[in-house]
Amino acid sequence: MSVNVLAFATSQRRHGNSETLLDALLEAMAAEEGVTIEKYSLDEIVIEPCRGCNACEELNRCINDDDDLNWVLERIIEADIVVMASPVYCMGMCAQAKALVDRMQVLRSRKYVLHLPIAPAERQDKRLGAFLSTAGQDWDYVFDALIPSVKCFFHLADIKNRDISYLMVNNVDNMGALAAHPTATADAAVLGKQMIADIKARLAEGDRKGGEEGDKMEAGDKTEDAEGTEQQREKTA
Amino acid sequence: MNPKTRRPVQVLGISGSPHQEGNTEQLLDRFLEGAADAGGVTEKIILSTLTYSSCQGCNACHKTGVCIMKDDLIPILTRKVPEADIVALASPIYSMSITSELKAFIDRAHTIWAQKFKLNLVHYEKEHFATHPGYFLATAGMERPDIFDYAYPIITAFFNGFGCGYTPDHNITAPGMDRWGNIKGHPTALTFAYTAGKEAVRQLEKERAKEPEK
Repeated sequence: MSVNVLAFATSQRRHGNSETLLDALLEAMAAEEGVTIEKYSLDEIVIEPCRGCNACEELNRCINDDDDLNWVLERIIEADIVVMASPVYCMGMCAQAKALVDRMQVLRSRKYVLHLPIAPAERQDKRLGAFLSTAGQDWDYVFDALIPSVKCFFHLADIKNRDISYLMVNNVDNMGALAAHPTATADAAVLGKQMIADIKARLAEGDRKGGEEGDKMEAGDKTEDAEGTEQQREKTA
Repeated sequence: MNPKTRRPVQVLGISGSPHQEGNTEQLLDRFLEGAADAGGVTEKIILSTLTYSSCQGCNACHKTGVCIMKDDLIPILTRKVPEADIVALASPIYSMSITSELKAFIDRAHTIWAQKFKLNLVHYEKEHFATHPGYFLATAGMERPDIFDYAYPIITAFFNGFGCGYTPDHNITAPGMDRWGNIKGHPTALTFAYTAGKEAVRQLEKERAKEPEK
């Protein structure tokens, strides 16, 4: 059974703490059978800020063809597991991560304006997400303000709240601090292994039940929508 | 007017909206108009018209207190914001937070944070916070009660670095744009922003009158 993992390292500091945490997770995932990993750093691919033009409400894609967003969105939908790693800067995710989250607006338009599916019905509930984060501050609430934006991202990627895993490590600031943390990389490895086991179980379940599963999921999707609408991306200006 | 320097109150507005003259910028414009009518000298910066990169996280500023980047943000962070008496940040809410344009601007202010907390080069007395108020203006499509809540800690981090007094009554928010169509359809937002701008300058004049002659 093959599992496609798509990961974004969003920090502009390459191989810093959040990316080291991500790499520990991906390494554990890669050690499992049949796992393909695709990792992008947002300094290798270009994701510009959202222009807020709402053209995607008609085009079903982003009008901005000057960067990598359009193919990245399709890769997000194709992936079985989507992982994002971001450092905390000024109590929020870093600006590059926020740009990617904001550009998910295309999928909001697809779902809520054009009423088209994001992931196909047969893949509902068969996709997982993980958000990894590191912060220099040691405050335990340092991650609180960015969680709602993370939920927006995964909601628009059609990954449900209950299917998002979080691994967030505070009090790691200088280069190398994460690697020196007593538990962080081991926690990431455990999480990576667990997620691959979970997704394989879900994919296997889908193969057994076939079409019956699809009908049930559609009903389930409606309840999620009520909650999901609340989280959908806001835009006005 | 500053009684000591005879300098009028300087009000700096910074818009993080990608939409020029959209709802958020109209809200900021009204705030600046109010400030101007109370005697302030206003300036508006529109981030989407500038060229700048996000913070590289290199932490060079932890040692030097200086940002290694050379772009349009440097004069704003080193001169315009510190020299202003009143600073207003404006952003629409995208995905439960501020836009990435404004976030990139705030992330770059890490240099100022480093000057203060890493290098102890800067210290702000209590009076500095009272005489340098910071304001946050925001619009949102939705009306859920916590829609602006996750932006506040980010704005607080920014204003703390510059020694600006930012309190909950300095938030000028306009939710429900989906319902009202646009900011002009909102029953109170523009008037509220205008009054807040006017009051910001008046309050500051009062605060300065309290300052003892040195």
